[in-house]
Amino acid sequence: MSGANIDNEVYIVGGGMTEFGRFDGEDQELAEQAMREALADCGITWNDVDFAVGGTNGETKPDNMVARMGLTGLPFITVKNGCATGGVALMTARNGLIAEGRDVAVVVGYDNHARGAFAASPARYGIGGWYGETGMMVTTSYFALKIKRYLHEQGIDERTLGYVSEKAFDYGSAHPLAWRRKPVSVEEALESDMINAPLTRFMFCSPDAGAVALVLARGKRAFELCENPIRLAAVELRGRRPGSFEVFSPWLSPGERTSPSIDAAKAAFDAAGITPDQVQVAQLQDTDSGAEIIHLGETGLCANGEQGAGYLNGDYKINGRLPVNTDGGCLANGEPVGASGLRQVHEVMRQLQGRALGQQVPNNPRIGFTHVYGAPGISACTVLVKEGANS
Amino acid sequence: MSIQLVDASLFASTDPVALQGSACESCGAQVFPAASSCPMCAGVDVSTVALPTEGTVWSWTTQNFAPKAPFRTDEFHPFSIGYVDLGSVIVEGWLLHKTEWVIGEPVRLALAKAWTNDDGTVVHTYGFEAVS
Ligand SMILES: [Zn+2]
Repeated sequence: MSGANIDNEVYIVGGGMTEFGRFDGEDQELAEQAMREALADCGITWNDVDFAVGGTNGETKPDNMVARMGLTGLPFITVKNGCATGGVALMTARNGLIAEGRDVAVVVGYDNHARGAFAASPARYGIGGWYGETGMMVTTSYFALKIKRYLHEQGIDERTLGYVSEKAFDYGSAHPLAWRRKPVSVEEALESDMINAPLTRFMFCSPDAGAVALVLARGKRAFELCENPIRLAAVELRGRRPGSFEVFSPWLSPGERTSPSIDAAKAAFDAAGITPDQVQVAQLQDTDSGAEIIHLGETGLCANGEQGAGYLNGDYKINGRLPVNTDGGCLANGEPVGASGLRQVHEVMRQLQGRALGQQVPNNPRIGFTHVYGAPGISACTVLVKEGANS
Repeated sequence: MSIQLVDASLFASTDPVALQGSACESCGAQVFPAASSCPMCAGVDVSTVALPTEGTVWSWTTQNFAPKAPFRTDEFHPFSIGYVDLGSVIVEGWLLHKTEWVIGEPVRLALAKAWTNDDGTVVHTYGFEAVS
């Protein structure tokens, strides 16, 4: 507990998650399923919930989940922050519990994206129409341009990208809720269709459907609801500063490179009083294989430039130094934008509690980390601690 | 007769071709396309500037599939996109005439055909070509 007042500590006490993949139905059906599972996971009902936060990137209104769950009069806040929605929802719930002295909150994230749903319009991002008309408003080419430069600067072999994909689908193939459950070899990943050099078909995640809900509880209430509450030791959100390299950027600054992920990770570690080398299981935004390599460096979980050796060593596999994206990450789960960040937290919660649905990290891991990142240059990171680990 | 452009505000001139950015009076930062304020220092005292026309490839990729609308083309062929380091600013644009590049390779600005309008006029954008 690091001597902190337990009344100001927030814990994750329950979780629920739907299968990820294509879904032929209403996105709020998925949200309801995840919420009911999360409530059942810690043995409470909707009537016991004081406060809720929900996020989606779609058109439905999360706060209208009360129509399905029950009109108890609770305050329900909606957030919408792209890929970082889950992290922002979690932060909002944590802050609400502490600031308002409430005891129990539910956080839910969901989406049901159609195939190819990530097409973006220049106007929505404040860019001229020419940018789309000339074929540059493409998320996948941004990922490729970013990792091409990073691998060059850090002297990392492009073949490392194949190892990232192989690892993701290895984890995914063992996870009952993952969308992609077929293993892919390093060679298969490297030799499949080139989409945007150096990234091939097996190196991108796709939009899909899914929902995740978590129950948070403050102070002593957490220990009444859960045998193994996971302390939310930190959740920090940061935006971009000059020098960051974001999607849909017609220009970049030639000065020092910055990143909201670097800032959010550092803030989260500082707030938790934990250093990156203490982390035993992690989730990193891997919308493409290159992103995971970059984010290992930006979060401080690996020294920049050493990722190539790390993947060759199996460092990020289940028996490695630091298992990463143990449910297969976005590569194997796809990205229902509103749910994705909470999927990460759900997976780390289960790993720390020793009840992983797929491959379980051995030797009772006690410290976990999650990282989301997305347009227009925001990142949210959490540090999760199995209680008693940091005393 | 003037040349048709995807967006005339991108260009300081077309003969010789030069891109138009803006420079901040407070911190000196240059951005592209020209903006009415400076995202680097949040200053609002900015003026337009013609950007350098030669630089080096900072990063590159290939566009192997036809992007969705609003992308326009007469006939799709895979093409290259890159960021070019012009010294004062790094600009994203097409990399012309080939699809294999090396980071650090010298390039210069050029006009490139983007698509043909229904009335037959050819619309141009900018790109960078290898300096041979
Ligand atoms: Zn400035």
